[in-house]
Amino acid sequence: MTLPATRQSVAIELDSVVKRYGDHTVLDNVSLSVREGEVVAIIGPSGAGKSTLLRCINLLERPDSGRITVAGHAVDAGSEISNKELVAHRRVAGMVFQSFNLFPHLDVLRNISLAQERVLGRSRKDADKRSKELLDRVGLADKAAQYPSRCSGGQQQRIAIARALALEPKVMLFDEPTSALDPELGLEVLAVMRELADEGMTMVVVTHEMQFARDVSDHLVVMVDGAVLEEGPPEEIFSKPGHERTRRFLRAVLER
Amino acid sequence: MSLSDWAENYPALLSGLWVSIRVTALALGIGMPLGLLLALSANSPKKVLRYVTIGVVEIGRGTPALVVLQIVYFGLPTVDVTFSSFFSAAIALALTTAAYTSEILRGGLQAVPSGEVEAASALGMVNRDTLRFIVIPQGVRVAIPPLMGFAVLIFQASSLAYTIALPELMSQAYSTGSSTFRYMSILGLAGLMYAAITIPASWLTGRAERRMARHL
Amino acid sequence: MGYLQAIITGIPMTLLVTVAGFTLGAIGGIPLALARRSRFAVLRIVARTVIEFLRGIPPIVWIFLIYFGIGTGAITISPLGAAIAAFGVISCAYMAEIYRGGLSAIPAGQWEASAALGMGHRDQLSKVVGPQVLRVSIPASATYAIGLLKDSSIAYTVGVQEILFNADMQAKQASDAIVPFLYAALVYVIITIPCAWAARSLDSGLRRKVAR
Ligand SMILES: Nc1ncnc2c1ncn2[C@@H]1O[C@H](COP(=O)(O)OP(=O)(O)O)[C@@H](O)[C@H]1O
Ligand SMILES: [Mg+2]
Repeated sequence: MTLPATRQSVAIELDSVVKRYGDHTVLDNVSLSVREGEVVAIIGPSGAGKSTLLRCINLLERPDSGRITVAGHAVDAGSEISNKELVAHRRVAGMVFQSFNLFPHLDVLRNISLAQERVLGRSRKDADKRSKELLDRVGLADKAAQYPSRCSGGQQQRIAIARALALEPKVMLFDEPTSALDPELGLEVLAVMRELADEGMTMVVVTHEMQFARDVSDHLVVMVDGAVLEEGPPEEIFSKPGHERTRRFLRAVLER
Repeated sequence: MSLSDWAENYPALLSGLWVSIRVTALALGIGMPLGLLLALSANSPKKVLRYVTIGVVEIGRGTPALVVLQIVYFGLPTVDVTFSSFFSAAIALALTTAAYTSEILRGGLQAVPSGEVEAASALGMVNRDTLRFIVIPQGVRVAIPPLMGFAVLIFQASSLAYTIALPELMSQAYSTGSSTFRYMSILGLAGLMYAAITIPASWLTGRAERRMARHL
Repeated sequence: MGYLQAIITGIPMTLLVTVAGFTLGAIGGIPLALARRSRFAVLRIVARTVIEFLRGIPPIVWIFLIYFGIGTGAITISPLGAAIAAFGVISCAYMAEIYRGGLSAIPAGQWEASAALGMGHRDQLSKVVGPQVLRVSIPASATYAIGLLKDSSIAYTVGVQEILFNADMQAKQASDAIVPFLYAALVYVIITIPCAWAARSLDSGLRRKVAR
């Protein structure tokens, strides 16, 4: 998809981000720019630092150096950041985890309503109303009163997506959302994500689903060893990988 | 012989049993919330707080309940803090409860998957809310069976209040026994009364354990 | 400092009650644990009932039952004897449950493998499974022994001259009702905390071994 030449505003900007654990450099000077409404897929071998990158974007991890901007809110590594700012930053970046991480002691509706009440300050009634709309949107209106353990993995992940959307984020971050799922259940999650992309949500998706990366993403990033190895239009990278390492990785994934 | 002893003396023992139950309930009611506070501060990210708490808990667990009881009832009045024998027993047992249950609850809190805590942070929830709505409800739930087991032990430990003349079951049994010289039958009846509470309570604990194991 | 010296003289008696009670329990717990999983239902029920009552009735009641109950009859019994007997029988019940837990932690494969080698039930138990049960029971037993050491303070109520008894004497003689008891607490803490740490590291060490 070619973008119009008009300047689109930037939703996420990573500027020379470095993250270390001890003396192990997990993100080595990573820069990345995501425009509003863009869908970026990140692929790469395990241990490449993909999860760490996402976790840095919403500040679950603080980088050691560099700058992270989400929806106009910039955070420099090492700078003091108040709790309020942290909350504001995380609100605009919704996150979906590989292992869903629903709250098992709360029913599905409450899973989605809780943060609306505590973070957005909505009343229980308004929050529940909104939660029902979101459940409907991910096709699970009938699950409101169930507990997560009674839902399939695919349903749980769709609930997790609804939970993140409830805070009306500007961008959505997905960390291998279908990796813990049987292929069939993965499809229903991918369908929801595809819809979200069509509605214009800005998304960063770490994934091993090459079909999804190819069909849905506007931009593909290949990460290896804590750095961006190459990036560009997915079609191009899939058909003509610029690096031997990319070629090897793609072959390994496709042969699975 | 025994049966007539029992028939004659059971009302005194029953009134003692009721005191035992009340003092246990009060001790648990004060001690368990205190234990939760200790558990939270033993898990605190603040190092000093964490180490001080762990130290306090170790001392609390290392000191026999009977010694705590002597300190509260006989010792505190020397610094002008005086409680009735009932409150002394409740406070002493509450302190022991706090120390032990804090370890139990800390285990429960740590059993809550870190992914859920992370999800809550990612949703913008502040630490206090995450503790209140996600970690504590689940951590306490996991801790229920061992807490029940501990409550049974504290009920038994209430018998130590005999040493401070609280008219609970053990005191009643002993004083009745010494006035009638029917120690065996009276103490035997007291033992049966304790068992009548502790044994069913242990069964319930076992059931709660199995239920919890199924749900994990 | 005079207090502390007097209190310390109670340590040997505290240890004697603890060690003697624990030893009785560690031995007596074995037949009780075996009876608890006997083939004969009657034996199982009897064992279970005995265990439940021994654990369900407070130690102080057992001590008094033995000291005053039995002691007023034909036989007389010393305070020390009553305390050791009481903690001995209570420990039998707790140790039996610890052994039972250890027994269920031994993989079925161990029974099968020894059966495949042609061993009878007796040999399987005494040569293969039994020693393993004792080994996996060590951490829980250590934790129990520490609890017993603290419970041994109850022996003071019948006049055994252990730590708390000596603290109480000091309190009465000096009419200082707080410092001697605080020293007593200190002595217990100093004895139990290192033991508890040792037991915990033993526990995690063994757990790793068994998990492998
Ligand atoms: N909390 C942590 N402490 C230490 N090392 C970590 C931590 N989290 C991740 N790592 C390391 O960082 C590297 C990148 O991890 P991750 O971002 O999860 O990779 P990916 O998601 O691409 O598989 C790995 O080598 C991993 O071991
Ligand atoms: Mg990852």
